[in-house]
Amino acid sequence: MIWPAPLDMAFMRHAFAAGTCISIAGSVVGYFVVLRRQAFAAHALSNVGFAGAAGASLVGFDPMLGLFVFVLAAALLMAVAGEDIGHRDISVGMILMFSLGLGVLFVNLYSANANAAIGILFGSVLGISTGQLELTAGVSLLVVLLLAAMFRPLRFASLNPAAARASGVPVSLISTLFLLILAATAAISVPVIGALLSFAIFVGPAAAAQAWTGRLGTGIALTIVLALVETWGGLWFSYYVNVPATSCIASLSFMFYAASWLPAGRSWVLRRRNQPVGV
Amino acid sequence: MAEPVVIASGIAAGKGRDAVFSGLSFQIEAASFTALVGANGSGKTTLFETLLGLTALRQGSVDILGCEPAAARSEIAYVPQADRLIHDGGFIGREFVAAAYNGRRWGMTLRYRAAARAVDRALDLVDARDLAHHKLANLSGGQRQRLLVAQALVNQPKLIFMDEPLAQLDPGAQERIVALAARLRDTLGIAILCSTHDINPLVQTADRVLYLANGQGRVGPIEDVVTDETLSALYGVPMHVVREHGQVFVIPAQTAHCANPKITSLIDRLQRA
Repeated sequence: MIWPAPLDMAFMRHAFAAGTCISIAGSVVGYFVVLRRQAFAAHALSNVGFAGAAGASLVGFDPMLGLFVFVLAAALLMAVAGEDIGHRDISVGMILMFSLGLGVLFVNLYSANANAAIGILFGSVLGISTGQLELTAGVSLLVVLLLAAMFRPLRFASLNPAAARASGVPVSLISTLFLLILAATAAISVPVIGALLSFAIFVGPAAAAQAWTGRLGTGIALTIVLALVETWGGLWFSYYVNVPATSCIASLSFMFYAASWLPAGRSWVLRRRNQPVGV
Repeated sequence: MAEPVVIASGIAAGKGRDAVFSGLSFQIEAASFTALVGANGSGKTTLFETLLGLTALRQGSVDILGCEPAAARSEIAYVPQADRLIHDGGFIGREFVAAAYNGRRWGMTLRYRAAARAVDRALDLVDARDLAHHKLANLSGGQRQRLLVAQALVNQPKLIFMDEPLAQLDPGAQERIVALAARLRDTLGIAILCSTHDINPLVQTADRVLYLANGQGRVGPIEDVVTDETLSALYGVPMHVVREHGQVFVIPAQTAHCANPKITSLIDRLQRA
């Protein structure tokens, strides 16, 4: 098979495939992350993954196993700590602080492999194994299917939680499930994009899409397109210019977000739809 | 008399050490408008939660359309206070209304036509087709309140609970929301329980008032409940009701006489009449 130039090596094909998976799953999750004002939880869960991976390496387990155990446990802790938006950032921050403390300890004890820690914090998109790619694709598919299965109650609970609860939507269960789905997505994203750069996937494209359109379906589709452009563009650019791919992806993510706030861009897209109206 | 939709018998509820209210009995008929009046903390929201089966009863029983409250939720729509929405209003009105359509069912909506028809119908009922494509953030309080009501209507409820829908609205918008609620009662036969801390915008429209104070309640037509005798008994201190220009003012008798000569003279005029 003849591949185009950036795809002629297996590691680049793996990078594109894994990037595509986390772009799609991360976009759908990220859309609701931004809608539900849980960006801090997304950031924290990704960083909790760092401690999990470091801990698993220390005791000789697969880092991915440690990643999943830590992020899912942290998501459950966040769910128990509560949904009250006024206090939620404090509990999330405390969980983040505690797990980063553990991460520092694990890296310190396992000093033989400090490079692995850097790889988790900033991602190693060009070093994705076949097994890791399979795991990424499988979890991405599962995440998208789960979100489709809980789409209606999740949408209602995100837009009007009090009315949703009154109409019988199990709002706390939906919140917990969503945090677990977010955690699983963070776990597969961390080795690819890096714990510290998860905003590029979870927040940047969704925030830009929500500024551009007030429709949910269009917004999710636009988020996926932006995330794919960002990931593919970043990988392609880094191949030719020889700069780290994650830097390019993060820069593109920021550019989309910044563009969504340009007054000219906003009025160009929204002029027809979005004028203030009278009583 | 129309069939009762809600029958509450001797109910008491409240999450804290003491019940917020107790010994409360009332009925709500189909196609009726009941004003739920009380100060902050008098138990209006607790009563809503009790009727929705979200707060356990301490005493008494509630029957809604022949079921326990929690089993009747599919027939009830709750319109929360507008400031309890957490998102920033980046959504167009139509999308907001559609979010409630079959919202308690798992999965996705696959029958788009049916969903679109239900949303159109709800928007038409509140006269908000023109708001469908505007972002919530760009709408006035009254317009947002109409979309909240449209969202409540999308699953065709028999009973609507409105939590302080008139708070923070200017008089024109208040009038429009009250007229809208009256229209839903008259044309669709929906029973409406609408909480408010000021009864005046509802005086002309409400069929009955459920007045909460001091851990108790009184129910009946406004002219029977909002009287010196009933409210004095309810509050446990002498109260005066002043009616002027179709408005109703409820004032502690002591304060009224001491503090405000204008109100004192109003009360004197009322008593002479």
